[in-house]
Amino acid sequence: MYIVIAGAGKLGLVLAKKLKDDDHQICMIDKNRGVCNKLAEQFRDILIICGNAAYPDVLKEAKIEKADVCVSSTSTDEDNIIICYLAKELFGVKRTVSRVNDPKHLPLYKYMEVDNPVDSTSIVARIVEEEASFTDVMNLLSIKKGRLSIVRVDIPADSPVANKALKDITLPHNSVVVSILRGTDVIIPYGSTVILPADELIAATLIDVEKDLIKVFIGKI
Amino acid sequence: MKYIIIVGCGMAGRGLAAELSKKENVVAVDISLKKLESLGDDFNGKKIWGDALDVKVLEDAGVKDADIVFFLTGNDNINLVVAKVIKRKYGVKKVVLQVNDAMKKKIFTEEGLVIFNRTYLFVEVLKKCIL
Repeated sequence: MYIVIAGAGKLGLVLAKKLKDDDHQICMIDKNRGVCNKLAEQFRDILIICGNAAYPDVLKEAKIEKADVCVSSTSTDEDNIIICYLAKELFGVKRTVSRVNDPKHLPLYKYMEVDNPVDSTSIVARIVEEEASFTDVMNLLSIKKGRLSIVRVDIPADSPVANKALKDITLPHNSVVVSILRGTDVIIPYGSTVILPADELIAATLIDVEKDLIKVFIGKI
Repeated sequence: MKYIIIVGCGMAGRGLAAELSKKENVVAVDISLKKLESLGDDFNGKKIWGDALDVKVLEDAGVKDADIVFFLTGNDNINLVVAKVIKRKYGVKKVVLQVNDAMKKKIFTEEGLVIFNRTYLFVEVLKKCIL
């Protein structure tokens, strides 16, 4: 695929490297000449354009009309939105992806029809929150706007369910243990499977009973 | 009395706000508190301190009920993005914005968006001088 990346900051660079490794054709645009010179030294086989990508003639120079995807990763949201808008409306690029710097600006991305706004701040905040919280629970996946969640629970040594068979444990309604990770093994549990300390449980649960489920496994919240 | 929102209180915004607030219902929005304070005693309207790219700030300013919204922030892209969104989503009848880049002015021109810039203003005024 031919992918145009606007903004050669940290995100843009990491992305370019990854996409290059997957044998995609890359064009990078950045308005800072110093950054562009450095890029040119670092990458021999990508097209580098020095200019402000929020201007149509710069996008044209990048041959954006031939691009399969336009990625906008600059640090200003208004520029990202305009870049994606121009790529789509003026040059007919099918797919636009953009970094969202301030989560408060996310609605504007949606109204201006950016296909995939990636709200990195919120994503990182969620991960940090999970890492910082005291419980050994991690939300792996939320489905249906968070109604159903897949969670990972680390079983502590003093867990009320340690050394008990699954069939002897009363789980709240609308929740189920999907698998047990023990060391390098992955176990699909039956009723007779015994839960050991230091196991990691993967469970699917409706959001209303998630707290009850955690209480069963850990004993407290 | 018309309900008017002015986003961006630089020189142009400040002058317009003071003038219009004599007769109309004016709300001034700016991300800089200093700029809002610089409106001074001449301004007889409401001030809102906030980021125009934040939809909540626009809603606080009463964008749903506005007759006209002016975008004079000095940043073409902010003006364009927010102007387009409020026209689409809130159905504001008249949106006036400053876009300095001639190419963008051409691309984004559509019904209900009045786009102007310095060159355009100069030409319009100077044209009148030869009459």
